[in-house]
Amino acid sequence: MSIRLFSIITLIQGDKKEMPTPRSRQRTGRIFTGIMVGLLGLLSSLSLPAWPSDTIVVGSKNFMESRLLAEMFAQLIEARTELTVTRRLGLAGTQVCFEALRTGAIDLYPEYTGTGLVTILNEPPMHDRVSVLNHVRKEFLHRWDIWWMAPLGFENSYALALRRDRAQTLGLRTISDLVRVAPQLKAGFGYEFIQRQDGLVGLTESYGLQFQNVIGMQQTLKYQATDKGDIDLLDVYTTDGRLAVYDFVVLEDDHHFFPPYEAAALVRGKILKRHPELGNVISLLTNAVDPPRMRELNLRIQEQGELVSQVAHDALRTLDLVGDNHVRSVTIVESSDSFLPYLWSKRSDLTMRTGEHLGLSGLGLFLGILIAIPLGLILEQWRKGAETIIRIVGMLQTIPSIALLAFMIPIFGVGALPAIMALWMYSLFPILRNTYSGLRDAAPNVVETGRALGMTEWQILRAIRLPLAAPTIMAGIRTSAIWTVGTATLAAFIGAGGLGVPIVAGLQLADTNLILSGALPATVLALTVDGFLGRVEQWVRPRGLEPVR
Amino acid sequence: MASLPSRTLLSWLWGVPQQVHQDDDASSSPQRFSVTPRIKELVHMKPWAIETQHVSKQFPNGAYALRDIEWGVQEGETMALIGESGSGKTTLLRLLNRLAEPTDGIVFIQGKPACSQDPIQLRRRLGYVPQDGGLFPHWTINQNVCLVPQLLGWTPIRQLEQVTKLLPLLNLDPAQIAERYPTELSGGQRQRVAVARALAADPPIVLLDEPFGALDPLTRHDLQDQFLSLKTRLQKTMVLITHDMSEAFRLGDRITILKEGHIHQIGTPQELLHSPATPYVDSLIQHYHAHPG
Ligand SMILES: Nc1ncnc2c1ncn2[C@@H]1O[C@H](COP(=O)(O)OP(=O)(O)O)[C@@H](O)[C@H]1O
Ligand SMILES: [Mg+2]
Repeated sequence: MSIRLFSIITLIQGDKKEMPTPRSRQRTGRIFTGIMVGLLGLLSSLSLPAWPSDTIVVGSKNFMESRLLAEMFAQLIEARTELTVTRRLGLAGTQVCFEALRTGAIDLYPEYTGTGLVTILNEPPMHDRVSVLNHVRKEFLHRWDIWWMAPLGFENSYALALRRDRAQTLGLRTISDLVRVAPQLKAGFGYEFIQRQDGLVGLTESYGLQFQNVIGMQQTLKYQATDKGDIDLLDVYTTDGRLAVYDFVVLEDDHHFFPPYEAAALVRGKILKRHPELGNVISLLTNAVDPPRMRELNLRIQEQGELVSQVAHDALRTLDLVGDNHVRSVTIVESSDSFLPYLWSKRSDLTMRTGEHLGLSGLGLFLGILIAIPLGLILEQWRKGAETIIRIVGMLQTIPSIALLAFMIPIFGVGALPAIMALWMYSLFPILRNTYSGLRDAAPNVVETGRALGMTEWQILRAIRLPLAAPTIMAGIRTSAIWTVGTATLAAFIGAGGLGVPIVAGLQLADTNLILSGALPATVLALTVDGFLGRVEQWVRPRGLEPVR
Repeated sequence: MASLPSRTLLSWLWGVPQQVHQDDDASSSPQRFSVTPRIKELVHMKPWAIETQHVSKQFPNGAYALRDIEWGVQEGETMALIGESGSGKTTLLRLLNRLAEPTDGIVFIQGKPACSQDPIQLRRRLGYVPQDGGLFPHWTINQNVCLVPQLLGWTPIRQLEQVTKLLPLLNLDPAQIAERYPTELSGGQRQRVAVARALAADPPIVLLDEPFGALDPLTRHDLQDQFLSLKTRLQKTMVLITHDMSEAFRLGDRITILKEGHIHQIGTPQELLHSPATPYVDSLIQHYHAHPG
């Protein structure tokens, strides 16, 4: 009894240090210290963008060929220069990638001349290979001091393809031949292809094509569906590895509609000036990869499940550009493996991804707590502006995650930092709302009695409002945590790592095992975090609020 | 109170609270009440513990909760404040401990204008019991009772002594309930703890806002008995709000009848019974005779 008496004194008069602290405060303190230490540990294990100047950041888009070329650049630079390389592979699309390059978040990435012309410069397609290259070179240098290095030797253009036997029956060799029979054909096209001016939109105008039916389909499904005869025609990339496997005919683009898409390295001028050797080693790859070779490399990744780093290394070895010493230990995992052995074989990678994932979401959440709880306290004092501010913060939530991530790039570059910032913004709202309403609605009659008995507002806040609001605040934190862990899978799109990496890669390869190897741990992680925070929620609930025993 | 500020002294001598308003129509005004007044007060010669002078309270929405209240409570007396719901009882009580400020007039607490006193210090000298007890659900009974002593910086030993002394006065066994949480007590026990908490720092004045209003009739009767014995023992100045006439008659030394922000009558139970000042008071008394208790 006397211990309790002692303890409530410090609850109100927190400045009297000599008094023993009550249990609830010790507890809160312990949780807090624990979280702090854990997060600091994670923070230090994350590589935040503070690269020294002799580090080259190589980026890529989120499809395999882009990753492979980027990995080849990276390994070549590592093998032939003193420079260190940081990889930011799998950035979400051309806009993100180019924005990252332009703002200096990455130093180089593989790009295609056609994309440079149409998507980045926003100009109408041109049809001559050399003039496209010269044009984008001139414009990029002029506008952004970004250099198109010499082409790598292959084009990855759009093309239309169909099964060889169908092509023969229908007598098709060119796209012009297609005009006649198109009204009887079902086409399965990629979503992007359907949308693009240099895709289906321009194609139908240029040739006057009218299909019976156009179905939007995912890459891998298209091939299977065409092979089975469910659809007649598909769009392909000319270097797609699957073209080496399926017996398809690529129709000749006799009007030269599809603009040339020559692959080349896109490099920031500043970094070339600082490290001229970079330009030299990249130009070692000039005309080094022809289309069949590229298809074969793609095939190894797409269909045979080999690691990008291994395939890139082999490609460079074949060119005698790197030595043997560089071989990394590689497990080639068959996609047909049953899931659990597959998961086991990837355990070290997954552990690292899980660590990254926890780091990203943990830091985002931590910053969220750091801002939202004090802000909630302030708003509770300043209720006039509260609803407006909470609504504004709530609006952050309605920005689609990918868009928010993309907005972060010009400000924070690519990698962990923008991802953490985006997650932080997402985590604010539930915590802020719950802190505010928890404090505002905390047992008004009890607050009033405290006031009537002579407690100051500060004492009321500390001894009544906060403890009574703690479970509500904790529930907000819990909501944010789940949300953050879920959204952190998208961080893979801006090269921040995490469990989204295998998910995104798996989606591109239509590899269910690969997708699951990211999705399952992410789900388990979310459930674990939820369960753990549920415990904490029970724990911070002041004892008298427990149901009567 | 050895010395009173001259103004209070004057109003006390003149029996201001019982004065008829000069500007009111004498026959119809509800503020008018029987003038038993100042001779009686002079006989008692007791100073005011609480006094209000021309106190009005208007809410921002324009509605008057209280209008020109002239009222006082003597030291050591229990004043029952009765009126129907919305008549302004709680508002009047909140003006005393400065949870609200009058829009007009002055409240005196122990002779000093309340507005000149630090509200926090003032409230610590005024015990307070709300209708639902208002116990802190996350604090033990012990912690709840010791709230004000602790705010006042009493030593833990002294707090402990106070708890062990107080709880038995209210028929509570410290050994049994001191470490329990409010949810682990019955409604009656909770109200008694709330009373104990109000008394813990030995305040000269205790304000009770319908303290027994939410209890079942048996428990209420029980608590009223305890309240009576406590009252005679402690001799504190108390203001007890109730909407129950029989409770007012049982517990109040004097009774104030409030309706729609006006005082209809102030008097002892005897005075109310024998000379109701307004038809409203009369109807209350009639009703009380019809349904006593
Ligand atoms: N904050 C407020 N704003 C506006 N009107 C109020 C407020 N508080 C009380 N009132 C009004 O003042 C009148 C008296 O209220 P109250 O003192 O609580 O009555 P009682 O305690 O006698 O039931 C009621 O009509 C009530 O609606
Ligand atoms: Mg009331």
